[in-house]
Formats: sequence, structure tokens, C-alpha cells
Amino acid sequence: MNTRAGDLGYFVFERSRRGGLRRAFIILLVITGLMLYVGGKVKIVRLGYQIEALEREKKDLERANGSLRIEASSLSSPARIESIAVKKLGMVRPSKENIVVVKRKRTDTNSEIQGAKFK
Amino acid sequence: MERRGRILAVLLIVGLGFALVALRLVYLQVYDRAELASRAERQQERLVKLAPKRGTIYDRMGRELAVSLDVDSVYGVPSKIEDPSEVARQLSRILHENPRMLERKLAGDKHFVWLSRKVEPAEARKVKDLDSSEVGLQAESRRFYPNKALAGSVLGFTGMDNEGLEGLELAYDKTLHGVSGWVLAEKDAVGRTVFPGGPGFQYRLPKAGHDIILTIDEVIQHIVEKELDVALTKARARGGVCIVMNPGTAEVLALAVRTLTRTGQPFNPNEPQHYRPEEWRNRCVADAFEPGSIFKPVLAAAALEEKVVHPLERVDCSAGKIKVADRVISDAHQHGVLTFTDVIAESSNVGTIKVALRLGRERFYKYITAFGFGRKTGVDIPGEISGLVKDQRLWSGVSIGSIAIGQEIGVTPMQVAAAYCALANGGMLMKPYIVAEIVDRGGNEGKKFQPQAVGRVMSEETCAKVNKMLQRVVEAGTGEKARPSGYTAAGKTGTAQKIDQRTGTYSKKYYVSSFAGFVPAGSPKLVILVMVDSPEGVIYGGSVAAPVFKSIAEQSLAYLQVTPDDMGDRMLLVTTR
Repeated sequence: MNTRAGDLGYFVFERSRRGGLRRAFIILLVITGLMLYVGGKVKIVRLGYQIEALEREKKDLERANGSLRIEASSLSSPARIESIAVKKLGMVRPSKENIVVVKRKRTDTNSEIQGAKFK
Repeated sequence: MERRGRILAVLLIVGLGFALVALRLVYLQVYDRAELASRAERQQERLVKLAPKRGTIYDRMGRELAVSLDVDSVYGVPSKIEDPSEVARQLSRILHENPRMLERKLAGDKHFVWLSRKVEPAEARKVKDLDSSEVGLQAESRRFYPNKALAGSVLGFTGMDNEGLEGLELAYDKTLHGVSGWVLAEKDAVGRTVFPGGPGFQYRLPKAGHDIILTIDEVIQHIVEKELDVALTKARARGGVCIVMNPGTAEVLALAVRTLTRTGQPFNPNEPQHYRPEEWRNRCVADAFEPGSIFKPVLAAAALEEKVVHPLERVDCSAGKIKVADRVISDAHQHGVLTFTDVIAESSNVGTIKVALRLGRERFYKYITAFGFGRKTGVDIPGEISGLVKDQRLWSGVSIGSIAIGQEIGVTPMQVAAAYCALANGGMLMKPYIVAEIVDRGGNEGKKFQPQAVGRVMSEETCAKVNKMLQRVVEAGTGEKARPSGYTAAGKTGTAQKIDQRTGTYSKKYYVSSFAGFVPAGSPKLVILVMVDSPEGVIYGGSVAAPVFKSIAEQSLAYLQVTPDDMGDRMLLVTTR
């Protein structure tokens, strides 16, 4: 009695020239499939390693960025800026005699304009 | 037959054995399943906590004052170490830790032990170079204060596990800390943590803390700390405080606390372990002191509001002393007959007490409490105290005289600064605040803090009169050294005797020298309070604290680009169309 399983058995194991070709084709197909599967897996693992390495690099860069931000903050502290301005560049605060305040009085609106504002 | 019987017997025994195993399996898998499963979970699973990133603290212009950064901590695996003393010796050279302490930690069969937390990057690199499987690095978040000691007492500091321990770090710990995450990891046969991944992987990502933006201005804070340090060194003082506020809103623009420290350096929150608790305490809110004469404007405001005196009314201070109940109170310098304005300008105790007696204790007490003395200001700095104000029903006969000149009353510097804000802004007492905004980096709406009025203390008319009187103090009174170049100013000097702890009486050696005022007097932009604790040599507030006020006012107003209002002939008026 021919069943579907029997058909398959005949297809795979029939000893004939056509059967040999079929077998070779099927084996080739299986091997190709396996290679593609393994290749894909290897690719995924490699990409995983790459992602991990990049993640680590990103983390290191973020950490370096944080360190640099703190360093920049520290270097731009008012105490340091004032120290450089006074000691290295010889800058001084303007005295009262060095300042002239100019007030503009507009004749049309009779209002005074001043530049200063409170931040 | 015998042989067949033996085979059957063997088969029976084997079958019985299988049946027993099957029964045991059914028992374990069905009856005892729940208990065994939970025991296995306990043995195989580990909840790994993921710390959130702590929020950043910025000044009002967005400059970083406190930042968190990932750094390395060094751990050891004692169960893998064969020679703990050798490893300890190697590590002690790198980490500068006690080798015996390291060896003690590395002995034993634990799978994990911290050796040094949050180490410097150079140290971490050297540990990494060891390339050892017995010692490793684990990233942890560490708090950095880039400006070192700047605003140290305000910011406070955090502990090893990033929890706020002092200052704003403590007050806003919940806001800054964020929400911890976790990962349900598995333990392998030797107890190492394995992260399974894949479907069913249970975790919750940590949620970073919110950032906060302060009302503090880094530049004004620097000016204040620098000038206070200069004054304290010059006066050989034990300490001092200074507060700068915006009188219209009661925003704290700068707050500096200085005290004698073991290291001789101001408190640096990067290294809290080098300081004692009293060295990082924020004395602006946590300590009460007798204010002395800087309290006289409170009496002046009350008396003028109640119309018991006029600014130009003449008060006889020629005796130089006055007897109140059983105590005789004297003036530091003898004066003749003075107008009430000059009573304040010359800081006459006698004249002030005479006016206080006219006002009476009930009305005076009403204004003292209206100015906010005797209760917390509500500023968002931890450790605030109420000060010491006795109920007027408990005042002795001399109390009204003593309190009028700033004795027999305990106030915090923050209360004084808030009271002077009311004097500067037209009579409205505002609630001081130091956090301007909470920023939610997660995209949700943050929170902005607005100025809050506590209540009106006096009319604008009275306030204007007190303002004029306080301008007189700076123009021709005890506060002449407070006059900033190019700006008008108003304020009051104070020289308060401290209580001698041994005798319980007023000390003749230790004083608190102070100056409180606002600039420019016409349209005040800044209220500045300077207090110097126990100066040596010259002790008067007009000589010790007033020059600090002047320096801070000049530099801060220039920084804020406030147009000078007192330039004399250096002011040009240009008419344009």
C-alpha cells in the first residue's frame, strides 16, 4: 500500500540514476541550508560582539565627556577667571573716575533710557 | 523453573525500585512543588539593583554646581584568591589603602567584596592593568562639585550610595535621586551573577533624577565668598555669614557661610570626610544670634507706622544712658539731642529705647512677628530654626529696651535678610527661596517656583521713610564705609555683644559685627547682609562688615549691569529726539 511516507521513502532511497541525482540535490540543499543557518548565527554573534564593543566605547566616551564637562566647569569657575584676569593679564576693576554714565532723555516722550537691566 | 523464578524476582525488585523513584518524583513534582520551586528561586535568583543617575544642580544661569559622573569602584573575589596578602600589598600601593584592611577583606570565601569605592581614574587604570580575575572594576555614580568649596554649605553633599546627606542635596534628595531600577538575574553554581536575557527577562530600567535650577548666581556667590574671606582674614574672625537676596522676590542670589575648620580651608563638598558637622552646618538658617543694632530699623518701622514718632522729631540722647526697669543701658558714644533719623544713623541706644517705650510692648511685638521673627522663614534649606522671640506677655521690665536695640532676641541671618527685603521692596514680607525650578528630563512638565508674599508689614509710605533714614546711616552715620562707589545705599550697622557661655553674661571680648542694607537705595536690586563672628581688634560693624557690603555691592551691581545712580558730575544727560 502506497502511503505518503512510502512515497517519500521511494523518492529518497530509490536506487536509480534519477534517484542518485535527487539524493545529491537534497544533501546539497540540506548542507546549504545548514551553512546559511550557521553563517547567520555566526553573523549574529559577531554583530553582538560588535554591538557590545560599541556599547562599551559609547559608555567610555560618555564618561570621558562627563569628565571633560566637569573639567570645563572647573576651569571656567569665576575664581579661576578672576585670578587669570588680575594676575596674568593685569586687569583691574574700573574705578568711579573711569566710568561715565550716559543717560538719554528723549524730548518727545520725556522718558529716560538706560542700558542696564536686572538679570 | 528456579532460574525463571530468580529472573522474575530481580525484575520485581528493579520494577519496585522504578516505582519508588516514580512515586518520589510525583511527590516532588506535585505535592511539594510550590515549596521547592520557591526555594530554588531563592537559591538561583538574585535581584540586582540598578542605581539611577542623580540629577544635576545648576545656578540661575545654567552653570553646573553639582554633577554626577560614572567612576570605577574596585571589588575583589576572595573565593578565587590564593594569596590575599600579596594581592592586598599590590592593591594598597595603587589605592593608597591600608594593606592589613585589604587583606582582611580579601581573606575568606566570599564571592564579592568592595575594596575601594569611587576611585580616581588613574587608580582605576592601574587596577585594570593588573588584568586580574580576582580583582575587578564596577562603574558607580559619583557626585562632583566642579567649583569645589563654592556654595558648599548650600549644596551640601551626598553619601557613598548617592543619598543626600546635607544641604540642598538632602532637602531635594527625592527629586534629585530618581527611581532605582532592577534586574532579576540568575546565580550560577558558584554564585556568580548571570544575566539571562531573552524572553521572560524581568527588569525595570532606572529613572534618572530631576535637575534643579537654583536662584543662586555663581558669580555673585564667588564675589560674596571672596570678599567675606578677605574680611575674616583681616579681622582674624572666627567665622562669618553673608546673604544676598533680590528684595522684590526674596530669591537668594548668594549665601556664604564661613567658619574655622580643621583644614583651614572652607568646606568643600567633594571631601566631606575631612570636615566636622559643625563645619558644614548652614549657619544662615541653623543658628540664632542677637542681632544688635541691625534690629533697630524694625523698631523704626513700627514706630513710624504707628505714628508715635516723626523722622525729624528731636529726641534727647544727651545723658548717654537710660534706665529701663533695673538695668542701665548706655550709648557707645555720647550724643546730644538728635532727630529720630539721626538716632538711627548714629545708632543711639538711648534714643531708640525712648521711642520703643512710647510704642509699647504689644505694638512692638506685633511688628516683630509681622517681620517674620520667631518663626521659620520657610526657605527650602534644611535645618532651619525659628529663632528665639519671647511672647510679649513673658517680657520683663527691661525687655522692651533690650529688644529695641537687638538684645534678648534670637534671630537667624535668613530672617534678618528677609526683613530687610521687606524694608527694601515697599513693605511686603516675602518667603525666601533658593530653588527656582525643577526640570524633568523625562519630558514631563517640571515645576517652577514663584515668589510668595507672606504679608504686608507696613505701608509703602512708612517704608519710604525708613528707606530715607537708612540712607542717612550710609551717607553720614555709622555706615559710611558701606557706601558703594557710584550707587546710593541704605542700611544699618550692628555690633552685638555675644553671650559668654561661662558666665552667662554679655562678653566684653566677643562681638558679632554686622551690616544689613540694600542697593541702590532708590530702586533696590540687592539686599546684602554681612555678619562677622568675633573679630579681633576693631569690632564695630561699621568698620568690619560695612566695607564687605560695599565691595559686594559694587561688584555685584556692575555684574548685573545696574546703572549707577550716584555718579555726581560723572553723569551725562544727553537729550535726543
